[in-house]
Amino acid sequence: MADEFKQITNFDRLIHEPSRLAIMAVLSACESADFTYLLNATGLSKGNLSSHLSKLRDAGYVNITKGFKGNYPHTTCALTRGGRRAFDAYRKQYLALARRLQKEAHN
Amino acid sequence: MTTHIDVEDLIRKTQQYEFVDGLRDLQMAAIMALLGAFAWFSLTVAGMHWYVRLILYLKDTFGSWARWINGLVYLLILFTVLGGSLWIMSILRRKWLWQESGWVKSLRWQVPRRVTVLSAVIMLGGIALGLILLSAGKVDESFVLRMLWAATGLGFGYTLIGMGREIGLVRYIWLGVFGGLASTTVLLLPLTFGQTAILLNGAWALALGITGSIALRRALTTIRQVNHGR
Repeated sequence: MADEFKQITNFDRLIHEPSRLAIMAVLSACESADFTYLLNATGLSKGNLSSHLSKLRDAGYVNITKGFKGNYPHTTCALTRGGRRAFDAYRKQYLALARRLQKEAHN
Repeated sequence: MTTHIDVEDLIRKTQQYEFVDGLRDLQMAAIMALLGAFAWFSLTVAGMHWYVRLILYLKDTFGSWARWINGLVYLLILFTVLGGSLWIMSILRRKWLWQESGWVKSLRWQVPRRVTVLSAVIMLGGIALGLILLSAGKVDESFVLRMLWAATGLGFGYTLIGMGREIGLVRYIWLGVFGGLASTTVLLLPLTFGQTAILLNGAWALALGITGSIALRRALTTIRQVNHGR
């Protein structure tokens, strides 16, 4: 049990927050996604999504590009190389822990 | 928003987003149909006649560069079809399909590298097998020519199965199985290179056209339901 506890404390806390984890998961599966897609996929409110994206951008995990599509403003988000690396590491840790707990539950 | 996040489900749904509206299937269907028709036509009398005229025109116009320009013409046609279809897809998605659900630029490589490598091995292995059997006198030249299409079909089928499994889209697994069976069947039939091309690519185009149309219809129905629900 001590090992699991140690593993959990090693998790990247910025990513581990559920809303940010959802954003990172979506962005990890594509090159970029716009604000509308992130809103629909994560189920967050506009304000919440903006605030979490800002935190991820400040940490250097996400690039946010603001532009126009026709006459409408269009915000695109993408994981940075560091962001992708951090999410991959988090996912690996998370899956390893889940597998281990599952195995222990069976035994 | 609940505190429980199904990370794998979010990843899978985003990976599927590029393919759920069926436009990719329709694009592949168009390319397959064009490729098959082109291969078949280029071996008919009319096709040969057109080809000779093209070569003579290029020779008169570009002199010794004609050989290179000739190759470029095919590349130009291929890139025009690819670029054109991507442009049409982008317009359809911006105006209707993705207007409400948002825009995603998918990863360049949706297929795992091992699948790409294995499908290339299947393709090259098939061609090599055909050549070995020919040199051993077990088959004739037409078998090797049919093998070119069959091996390409088997490789592409394997890619579709790998992609379907990776992103969780069952229709690609069925398409891959169908393509593999169709490729094996044409290999065993007494067909010429041109006939094999039109038959196999026609089968691919038909299958992809059907799955693409069904997926597109489903996507449009969903959009209509969302719009009516407002």
